[in-house]
Amino acid sequence: MTAYVSVEGIARRYPGMTVFRDLWLEVRRGEFVCLVGHSGCGKTTVLNILAGLDAPDDGAVIVDGQEIAGPSLERAVIFQSHALLPWLSAEGNVAFALGCRHPAWSRVQRREAAREALARVGLAEAAQRRPAQLSGGMKQRVGIARALAIAPKMLLMDEPFSALDALTRGALQDEVARLVAEADQTAFMITHDVDEAILLADRILLMSNGPEARIAEVVVNTLPRPRTRANLHHLAGYHALRDHILDFLLSRSRVRPERWDPRAIPSWRPTTTLPPTP
Amino acid sequence: MPPSRCACGRAHEGLACDAAPPDGTGLHGAAVEQAALRAVLPRAATRRVMLRRFGAAALMAAIGESLPLGAAREALAQAQAPAAPEKRQLKIGFIPITCATPIIMAHPMGFYARHGLEVEVIRTAGWAVIRDKSIAREYDAAHMLSPMPLAMSLGVGVAQPVPWAVAAIENTNGQAITLATKHREKRDPKSWRGFRFAVPFDFSMHSYLLRHYLAEHGVDPDRDVQIRAVPPPEMVANLRADNIDGFLGPDPFNQRAVFDGVGFIHVLTRELWDGHPCCAFAVPRAMIAEAPNSFAALLRAIVEATAHAQKPENRREVAQAIAAQAYLNQPPTVVEQVLTGTYADGLGRVQRVPDRIGFDPFPWHSMAIWILTQMKRWGQVRQELDYAQVAQQVFLALDAGRAMREQGLAVPDSTLRTHVIMGRSFDPAQPGDWAERNIRAA
Amino acid sequence: MRHDPAWRAALLSLLLLAVLLGGWEIAARRGGGAGAAVDPDYAALVGAAAAQGGQTPFPKPSDIAARLWGLLRDPFYVRGPNDQGIGIQVAYSLLRVGTGFLLAAVVAIPLGFLIGMSPLLGAALNPFIQVLRPVSPLAWMPLALYTIKDSAVSSIFVIFICSVWPMLLNTAFGVASVRREWLNVARTLEAGRLSTALRVILPAAAPTILTGARISIGIAWLVIVAAEMLVGGTGIGYWVWNQWNNLSLADIVIAILLIGAVGLLLDRALGALARAVAWQE
Repeated sequence: MTAYVSVEGIARRYPGMTVFRDLWLEVRRGEFVCLVGHSGCGKTTVLNILAGLDAPDDGAVIVDGQEIAGPSLERAVIFQSHALLPWLSAEGNVAFALGCRHPAWSRVQRREAAREALARVGLAEAAQRRPAQLSGGMKQRVGIARALAIAPKMLLMDEPFSALDALTRGALQDEVARLVAEADQTAFMITHDVDEAILLADRILLMSNGPEARIAEVVVNTLPRPRTRANLHHLAGYHALRDHILDFLLSRSRVRPERWDPRAIPSWRPTTTLPPTP
Repeated sequence: MPPSRCACGRAHEGLACDAAPPDGTGLHGAAVEQAALRAVLPRAATRRVMLRRFGAAALMAAIGESLPLGAAREALAQAQAPAAPEKRQLKIGFIPITCATPIIMAHPMGFYARHGLEVEVIRTAGWAVIRDKSIAREYDAAHMLSPMPLAMSLGVGVAQPVPWAVAAIENTNGQAITLATKHREKRDPKSWRGFRFAVPFDFSMHSYLLRHYLAEHGVDPDRDVQIRAVPPPEMVANLRADNIDGFLGPDPFNQRAVFDGVGFIHVLTRELWDGHPCCAFAVPRAMIAEAPNSFAALLRAIVEATAHAQKPENRREVAQAIAAQAYLNQPPTVVEQVLTGTYADGLGRVQRVPDRIGFDPFPWHSMAIWILTQMKRWGQVRQELDYAQVAQQVFLALDAGRAMREQGLAVPDSTLRTHVIMGRSFDPAQPGDWAERNIRAA
Repeated sequence: MRHDPAWRAALLSLLLLAVLLGGWEIAARRGGGAGAAVDPDYAALVGAAAAQGGQTPFPKPSDIAARLWGLLRDPFYVRGPNDQGIGIQVAYSLLRVGTGFLLAAVVAIPLGFLIGMSPLLGAALNPFIQVLRPVSPLAWMPLALYTIKDSAVSSIFVIFICSVWPMLLNTAFGVASVRREWLNVARTLEAGRLSTALRVILPAAAPTILTGARISIGIAWLVIVAAEMLVGGTGIGYWVWNQWNNLSLADIVIAILLIGAVGLLLDRALGALARAVAWQE
């Protein structure tokens, strides 16, 4: 299967410092990919480049056969801090996005669709409330509703739950898992929460520390679906997966092997069920 | 200005003279007689023979037996009656001081209406504003200080020279030097060194008279005292606040200072120069050219109002009319004291000076010449001036004289006369050393 | 708190006012003349205070109240151009303020937008703004009269040039401080420049813009009074000058109160407008 999204040799530099260079990665259609790494390694920069909010100094990003040139409705972003427009209600925020996606729709159509999107994230009664009257979790749910309502080709998420408390975070993670599965949505998420990555992702990319960060390893998540927070830690292979990733973050993220091919990143999968792939 | 044909038949510069009777003799009468003669004796040869044989007088008398020559002459004179004004609605700006009495009173007392004009008199915030609004032609005519048209025509104090004219003098006398009550013992000007004085404007009779008064008493107006320009209502307030020690300003503010107990009247300007001009009825030269009939009607109204105000028996009525809120906006008793000349002097006595303020419209050229010498004296004008020529261009004695003539007022024979100023004689033909700084030695 | 604090504060305010006015009234009554013996003819010709050897005093609150009542009873009379009711004078001033303020808004808000969105333009225009901003209306007036010549238009110009700066600077600041995130949201939604400007930047900056407008209207009202004193004709500023001519201090105090009251109402109106567009995070 050809990659739906192909990141080819992108680099990002600032005066005196290279964040990363010669970065290659792929996302297949319907796949959920997580990028995990320490703070400051450049994960958000990668996401911004994928979203089109930032332009790479070298290389290109190809989505569905076309090189991207700037932000697009096809690549919806869920921001770390919800980024809702505070003068609009929850419904208004989603309707705004729908208006951008479907300029020909009437106000009534937009509002109906907005209400539907909010119902899907469980916020039907809070539709008329302004962001100031919503809790953190609810605001982020509106952000999710807004992003999904426009049916993008790819969903980009920048540590979307890191600003929330643990309980809310858990609830939302389950929601996102469900919604993404329902819509067969291609998704790319940045996180530093290992459990979150294991819960949601099909493949987990491990990013080394910056500067000159690289994707050190690709971890294939073989745990069976459907996965929820409740059953996750009972699944076979969970602990091996988790240990492996934690090891990376705690010790191997600073390692730089001598012979390194950015296009052939080593892959790893937990060995409980299947023999390791070379 | 080219000399005009006076109705007396002689061409002479200056004024309508006494020899132009309204009953149609003179130039008009001659025209009627010529017409009658030609009607009776159509053939020129016969006319010549008859005139040589009998003489013109006898011939006219004979013709007059059968033809109504007298009526014809009168009719012709009447036909020279005023033409309709081009512009009937006019705006005149004024500053609310008693100097503007004729301009103001003509409104409520109907003088403008009588001459076919609808005039709006507009109270204005200050001399500079009146000047600017006049230059911008927002006003058709305005109340100005009599030196202002001279300064404007010479280009002094304005961006460029703009020809302006004094059509009539508004008032004579009517000012005073008022001092703060605390100076009641300091009546000798020699003790005024270090005093701060106020005058309404730099180009004003107030400024020149004050300076001359000080100079005559050995006080240098530029070095020994401070003189500043202050709007008249602020003069009283400044006196009260001890910001100034005295002022030479227009009424009713001298009287108002007495009324409010902040000052006393030290000397009336009448005692410095009896009959000095103060304010003027000023028009742009352009207005006279564009709307000569309106100008003539306006001048007639002003001159008539001035004459009415001059009569002592009318003073009280005029005072009541102009003290109203729409005009001077002062307590009526203050205005009445100024116009009638029976006033409290601020030192406990009631004074009686009936000609404390006078209303005489004639714009003497000699007055203009004196003003010009003072402008030179104090450095406001530096170039060489032909005094007589400037005076003639700005002070329109001819037009004023004509208007006065029509009202039946006595018109002077000449535009020049000598004036007595603080005991010294000023001869306009020989201004002499009046333009010199001349601070008399103490 | 058990008692309503606003109610208490109002009561205290009134009490303070009563004490101030009472003290003023008593002091003014006492400040008469020395009672020097004066000729009755003379006394008839001068004011009450001068007749007793003193100076006409500052008016008492009771005098002022009486005069105020007189003025408010018939505020809209017209007896010729030089004499009109106080209601009409205030109306003239408000008309001029309204015109000048709206002109300023029409110029300041779009220009402020441009400056806020373009740091280059902002840096280029900044020296001009900083030099022109502190200039007093009294300095602009002669320049305006000289070039424009028409005194009515000059007054409006002076209001414009003095009240344009707060709106300009506030708009620029408001636009420049719009959260990056919201702009990014608009970008990812492919919103388009005009749509972003009207539907994201404008609502985001609106509270700041209206704060600027509120400051501007205060300045405009201040300026019109000064301008009218210089130029005259009609308006509350001109009315003050006219009463100054008559040394009628009671009228001037009343004018000050009226000017303050109208200024307060204008400020409140714009404050309400600012609250209507305010948003919370």
